[in-house]
Amino acid sequence: MSFREKSAWISLLTMAGIYGLYFWSVIHDGPQVGRFHFGKLLGTIIALVVVQIVLHITVAIFAPAEAKAPRDERDKLIELRAMRVAYSGLATAVAFACFFGALNPPIVFNTNALLFILVTTEIMRSACQIIQYRRGA
Amino acid sequence: MHTIRRTITNEIRRLRFEHGEMTQQQLAEKIHVTRQTVNAIEQGKYSPSLEAAFRIAAVFGVPLESVFHYSSDE
Repeated sequence: MSFREKSAWISLLTMAGIYGLYFWSVIHDGPQVGRFHFGKLLGTIIALVVVQIVLHITVAIFAPAEAKAPRDERDKLIELRAMRVAYSGLATAVAFACFFGALNPPIVFNTNALLFILVTTEIMRSACQIIQYRRGA
Repeated sequence: MHTIRRTITNEIRRLRFEHGEMTQQQLAEKIHVTRQTVNAIEQGKYSPSLEAAFRIAAVFGVPLESVFHYSSDE
């Protein structure tokens, strides 16, 4: 497994795991109109960054040459394809969010919905990269 | 409906063997790609760019058509 594929796995698992905990906690708290969980979100982002950095450093220690090597043409192609798929998902989700936003939901719901869309897009991008790496390209 | 099948095959594995059993990693370093990319090219799962294809041919000192073969059932 190449360093880029491992990196995509790290991104997928950490995003799903850490943001999964955040959204579970938000749903568990129930709708609290006007109160955005800023502290909780900040903690989530810090945890995500720290965990991703630690995991990337760990992986790089075991394969330093691969980690230092720049992306090759296949890595770039895989990234572009994954971005295209993720963008389609993002555009569709934003269109739904705009439609739903017209129904005047609480602002806190809208903010979390947009965050959920961004996280899902990122997960979709990493998943597409992994699938292509597994297939060979 | 008739589907036209196009395939690109290559002789990289044989050429590596004939060049002192060159490893995929060694070839990868010479053409500036990862070992996984060389493996994908060799298995026909990924078609390299024209530039990478020329680099591969240059490593083995043979013309491009000796490394890659294109065929279709047209």
